[in-house]
Amino acid sequence: MTSSPIVARELVRHFGTGDNIVKAVDGVDLEVRTGEIFGLLGPNGAGKSTIVRMLTTLLKPTSGSASVAGFDVVTDADKVRRSIGVALQDAAIDPLMTGRELLNLQAVLYGLSKADGRARGDELLERVGLTAAAERRVGTYSGGMRRRLDLALSLVHEPTVLFLDEPTTGLDPMSRLTLWEEVRRLNQSGTTVLLTTQYLEEADQLADRIAIVDHGRIVRAGVPRDLKAQVGSPTLFVSVDQAHGDSARSTLARFGELRPSAEGTLGVGLARGAEDVAAVVRALDEAGIKVRHLELNEPSLDDVFAEATGHRLEGAQ
Amino acid sequence: MSIATAITHSTQLTKRSVRGRLRQPAALAPAFIFPLFFAALGSASFNRLARDPYFSENIASSFLNYAVAGAVVQGVLFGATSAAGDLATDIEQGFFERLLASPISRVSIVLGRLAASMVVGVTQVVVFMTLFVVFGARVESGPVGVIGLIVSGALLGLAMAGLMAGIAIKSGSPEVVQGSFPLVFVLLFLSSAFFPRHYMTGWYRTVADWNPMSHVVEGMQGFMNHDLAADQFVKAWLIPLGVSIVGIAFALRSLDKRLAAS
Amino acid sequence: MSTVVESRRHDADARSMEVIAALVRRTLLRVRRMPSAFIPSLIMPVFQLIAFSGAFGAAVRLLDIDPMNWYMPLNAIQGASFGALGVSFGLLNDMETGFFDRVLMAPMRRSVIVFGSYAAAIARSVVPVTFVVLVSFLGGLHTPGGPLAILMVVVASVMVALSACGLALGLTFRMRNMGAATLTQFAIFFGIFLSTSQVPLSEMSGWLRACARVNPMTNILRFARQGFLGDITWAQTWGGLVAMAAMFVVSTAFALTGLRRYDR
Repeated sequence: MTSSPIVARELVRHFGTGDNIVKAVDGVDLEVRTGEIFGLLGPNGAGKSTIVRMLTTLLKPTSGSASVAGFDVVTDADKVRRSIGVALQDAAIDPLMTGRELLNLQAVLYGLSKADGRARGDELLERVGLTAAAERRVGTYSGGMRRRLDLALSLVHEPTVLFLDEPTTGLDPMSRLTLWEEVRRLNQSGTTVLLTTQYLEEADQLADRIAIVDHGRIVRAGVPRDLKAQVGSPTLFVSVDQAHGDSARSTLARFGELRPSAEGTLGVGLARGAEDVAAVVRALDEAGIKVRHLELNEPSLDDVFAEATGHRLEGAQ
Repeated sequence: MSIATAITHSTQLTKRSVRGRLRQPAALAPAFIFPLFFAALGSASFNRLARDPYFSENIASSFLNYAVAGAVVQGVLFGATSAAGDLATDIEQGFFERLLASPISRVSIVLGRLAASMVVGVTQVVVFMTLFVVFGARVESGPVGVIGLIVSGALLGLAMAGLMAGIAIKSGSPEVVQGSFPLVFVLLFLSSAFFPRHYMTGWYRTVADWNPMSHVVEGMQGFMNHDLAADQFVKAWLIPLGVSIVGIAFALRSLDKRLAAS
Repeated sequence: MSTVVESRRHDADARSMEVIAALVRRTLLRVRRMPSAFIPSLIMPVFQLIAFSGAFGAAVRLLDIDPMNWYMPLNAIQGASFGALGVSFGLLNDMETGFFDRVLMAPMRRSVIVFGSYAAAIARSVVPVTFVVLVSFLGGLHTPGGPLAILMVVVASVMVALSACGLALGLTFRMRNMGAATLTQFAIFFGIFLSTSQVPLSEMSGWLRACARVNPMTNILRFARQGFLGDITWAQTWGGLVAMAAMFVVSTAFALTGLRRYDR
């Protein structure tokens, strides 16, 4: 057993049997270090939630092993449960109950005494800015309020490891920023966080390290800055008339490797960097190709994703 | 639009409705299983009653013979209610609007549904009668009585389908139609559908006396258990026919209101 | 942190009881806030009591049995079982919203989930039973067996309701859809009607008698009815106790194994 709070080795989970077998998670190795925010980035259906459900003891792995907070997720599930806080996708909360009632129930589920539960509830409500809404039914909460309550619920027993499954999916930009701030604050006070997201920006802004998940496998992992640096050159996106697609492609290929791009657009990694833009425009003009739109992007996680998987995350959402 | 076209449209829509009902055996099954189960349960439970002199002389030769009419009525009522549920679902999902936008007459749309309930009603009478005869029931009034029962089943299907279609069109909600289902139970239990009125007492008897369902069932029981008589036709045909007219008028009026509102 | 760590060290049994109590409180709170889902389970058994005793009453009156006395225990048991089914509807709802995952992730004995549901089922079934008993007194119920008769009806109702709840939970854990509740409704329906629901065994003929003789519900109805038909005797009691205990054990095992299968 290592000292890292989250470790997975060759983790596999299949659903179904026989010919209908779906390999939702297909051999995942993962190590999250104490005190970091780790992001699992990937599109819908990549297997992120299945990984989280195995790490949080909700799902047994088909094969492989994992430990959380030093305990095996299969043989020591109860100890894992004591150590972790989990906010699952779609904030699973009962709309007929009030925020306070849910916090009290959660406190009982985790074995806090009545007085402790109440004090802890007050503290958490204050912390996530829901004190005024505490006695209202959750059914009347906005999406952002529900996620904040869900976060508060996951913190009732002061877990050392926190799992957040797509914590900001469907939230407006303001609510998203508020939640990010709260996650950062928690992290600064020593909580290790594993979050899943399909938002590049979220992974980029929030996570110390990320792993890109596609088709049940981790295809890249590391610090976002390093990953972006590995891609190296910036990407130039060019839109041209469809009739000129082939000639534009061969023209662009002279300036660097072609990169995956959205439909109707061509992408090229400029080997010599931004200074080549003028040359590209000239070359296209000489070839008689009319440019409709031009955009230069510094290396982003989307480029890392595209390089690793052959398709882009943005636009797939 | 000619009457011939209207009839063709109604026939087409009837076929669609009947096909729709046959494709959901799970929805149709209760309308067959529960009435048969209750009839079987009654005839296995209430033997002593059937030996009561009043029962054997005035009501029926066996409890099975008595239970046939109640089972038929119960099945037809269940069937018509679940058909109205389909109609409300159609309205909720917008299929109804598509029909209304087509050059099919509005009356055909409603009549097609109702005719389908008559077809299901007739099928139920035939299936139930066949099963009951296999298990020893007898139609005392002969072939004319059998026709009497079949026509009665069809009219009852029409009456119930008309009323329920009215509720479905008015509300446009399958939940409301399902919610009115317990009322069907109340109507049946507070009548002579499951047990002879003669043996009821107190206020329960008074309600059953006034419940038109008692008289429809007794008209049908007359076909099963006595020689042909005029009052059987009056009870088993005219009461459902009267309710049908009211029901269809209610359904069409609800349709007019829905169209005016949209 | 230290206070929380300290309070985690509760005695496991005491903790289980606290969780069960909290789950019951939640059920009652949901009933209070959404009464429309609960009211039918209150009205149906009372309607059936009136309908059965009013319509079929003559069949037992011929045997010198008061219809209200004959049918009340039946409708109390039936009402309790359907009331308890509300627990499985609630569980299914929790599975769909993900709330059940929250419960599953709590560090506690898995069996607490089943027994918490049982406690909620008792709460949900005692109310309709009480209602049926009160209405039947208005309708002329009398208790030749003394006040113990009422207690025995309540015991029988709760035990059958718990068995129904266990069956419904076991099916819901395995099927994870509405079909589980529908199947349980069928089981309750046929279990009750293929017994001495309408008339005593001696009055039945052929197939029904054969079914009712082996149906444990016949023993349970005899147990529950005795105090309303005459004296309470051991001869009429033990068969019902055995039947209730057996049904409870089997359905609880079914629920617990279902949860174990769900838990992965």
